[in-house]
Amino acid sequence: MTDNILDIQDLRLSFRSHGGVTEVLHGVSLSVAPEERVALVGESGSGKSVTARAVLGLLQSQRSAQITGRILFEGRDLASLSGANRRKLRGTKMSMIFQDPVSSLNPLFRIEDQFREVLRRSERSADMRRTREVAGKLLRDVSIDDPERVLASFPFQLSGGMNQRVMIAMALVNEPSLLIADEPGTALDVTVQDQTLKLMRKLADDRRAAVFFISHNLGVVREFSNRLYVIYQGRIVESGPTGSIFDDPRHPYTKALLAAVPRITRAGIPEIEESPEAFSAPCEIHETAGVAA
Amino acid sequence: MSAVLKLLAGRLAISLLVLAGVSMLIFAIARVIPGDPARIALGPNATPEQVEKLRQELRLDQPIWLQYGHFLSDLSRGELGTSLYTNRPVTRDIAQFLPATLELILAAGILMICIGLPLGIVAAKNEGGFIDNLVRVVSLLGVSAPSFVWAVILMILFAFFLPLFPIAGRIGTQFDVPQITGFLFVDCLLTGKLDALADALWHVALPAFALALSGIGQAARLTRANMVETYRRPHIEMARSYGFPEWRIARKYAFRPSLIPSLTIIGLDFAAMLGNAFLVEAIFAWPGLSRYGVAVILRKDLNAIVGTVLIISAAFLIANLIVDLLIALINPRIRHGRDRS
Ligand SMILES: Nc1ncnc2c1ncn2[C@@H]1O[C@H](COP(=O)(O)OP(=O)(O)OP(=O)(O)O)[C@@H](O)[C@H]1O
Ligand SMILES: [Mg+2]
Repeated sequence: MTDNILDIQDLRLSFRSHGGVTEVLHGVSLSVAPEERVALVGESGSGKSVTARAVLGLLQSQRSAQITGRILFEGRDLASLSGANRRKLRGTKMSMIFQDPVSSLNPLFRIEDQFREVLRRSERSADMRRTREVAGKLLRDVSIDDPERVLASFPFQLSGGMNQRVMIAMALVNEPSLLIADEPGTALDVTVQDQTLKLMRKLADDRRAAVFFISHNLGVVREFSNRLYVIYQGRIVESGPTGSIFDDPRHPYTKALLAAVPRITRAGIPEIEESPEAFSAPCEIHETAGVAA
Repeated sequence: MSAVLKLLAGRLAISLLVLAGVSMLIFAIARVIPGDPARIALGPNATPEQVEKLRQELRLDQPIWLQYGHFLSDLSRGELGTSLYTNRPVTRDIAQFLPATLELILAAGILMICIGLPLGIVAAKNEGGFIDNLVRVVSLLGVSAPSFVWAVILMILFAFFLPLFPIAGRIGTQFDVPQITGFLFVDCLLTGKLDALADALWHVALPAFALALSGIGQAARLTRANMVETYRRPHIEMARSYGFPEWRIARKYAFRPSLIPSLTIIGLDFAAMLGNAFLVEAIFAWPGLSRYGVAVILRKDLNAIVGTVLIISAAFLIANLIVDLLIALINPRIRHGRDRS
């Protein structure tokens, strides 16, 4: 169990506001083994992004957020780390790819400046020559043929797909052991989204990085992930190997999600008939040899 | 870089056009307001012949477009005619009084930027917290009263009841700083009179602060609002996900993008100060352009009125030009256009 890159145990999260306390996660547990690609799938508002942000430690600084449960990264309890030590992991051992590539990059700086900033997280003295060398190679890996031009550009001068690839390359600069991808490319069109996933899969394989992948689309996940968690309203309702869940969905919510797959076009959100009572059935776990779900 | 030059050339051309328009307007208005400048200048005891002679000297007997033509040809030689009030070339009067006014405005502008922006940044970084609320109240106070009201209040409080600052003037009478550039601070530095410089700074503090207060409030409020908005954008979250230090995120990711809209307002505030300075100068007996301006208007001193207004308009346009240039330098969208070169 401690061999896992990421282990989330009974993560509970609530937000305080003027209206009172809203519980968002009701005890989420999941794990990601080394080199594994794990997907977390659920509809909008089910608590996918907040889970990812809790792993990175981005919610902990928010005054309104209350978090309990344990998040172990490479066997270390993140809560036991000091703020500074925790920050050290971000962008080095774990990095995140965001949904909207164009607005996630700093609009005022050239791509190369942003690469350098990331590279300096691990190589403090990295200069522009070294940055261009590292970034150029990575950009070629994400199928960008003219890295020099891209590096000298500002985000607004590049297309959405280009920015997406830049963001993937950036996430790989410091060779993280865990790559978190929060619906990468859903802000873009389907073909770009598809390309993005193929690229990510290849790159993660090459670098032996684990991927924690978030999506609201089961169809997207089928090709990509080894293992799958289905989340509904802050609870994991089904988990197991991707193939096993697709062959034999057990939880009513998973079945509804699967039934909705053919109807999903572009970046659409699955339309699911309301039957909330059935959806609150207990979690279904597909057991597999070797991997503890 | 060429995009910036092109932009600058465009703005410069527009500024010159505006200046030409202003000159025509003020030229006409100065002549339309009632009262005969020659009669006012010569006083009630002058004979009609004397008045007529002066009118001819002033070319007031000619049609207005001819007068304007003469004005333009004077201007092309760098002259603005003679003032009836001081009997000296208007350019010399302006050269004498303008530096004091510019010095005051510059001091106020520095206060506005050096106090207003940091206040806004600190407030935004602590959004919703105690410091944020404090800054919001203080900056609201700043914008809630015009600068001449602040001038009176500050003078009563800190020059009269609590005599921490001098009540009037630009420098103590015991100092004798030779005029080299007309800018007192510069002249003090050039002649190495540091005690005089300290005294001059002490004198400018209160009027500059009064002039700056509403600008400080506005800069703080605006910077705060823009930064709070920027902090919600995705690129901040991405920066945090990479573990960049918080102060660096504040500076490069939150403040820089927020500065672009703030700068426009700061430019306008600078321009507003040019007007407000007149009243503040009057209250603190600041030997700037205001006293001269008021005197020449009351005497219908045509050349001096036109010259003063033109200089103020030019200063206004230059301030705007500088702001446009700064924005172009910060914002790559303007610097590089949308081309994918
Ligand atoms: N900072 C916050 N303060 C209060 N509530 C929040 C905050 N962030 C998220 N939430 C709430 O938590 C819930 C889960 O949000 P989350 O962003 O994780 O959804 P999601 O599963 O990623 O959905 P989507 O597919 O739309 O991205 C939502 O109901 C949201 O309103
Ligand atoms: Mg989300």
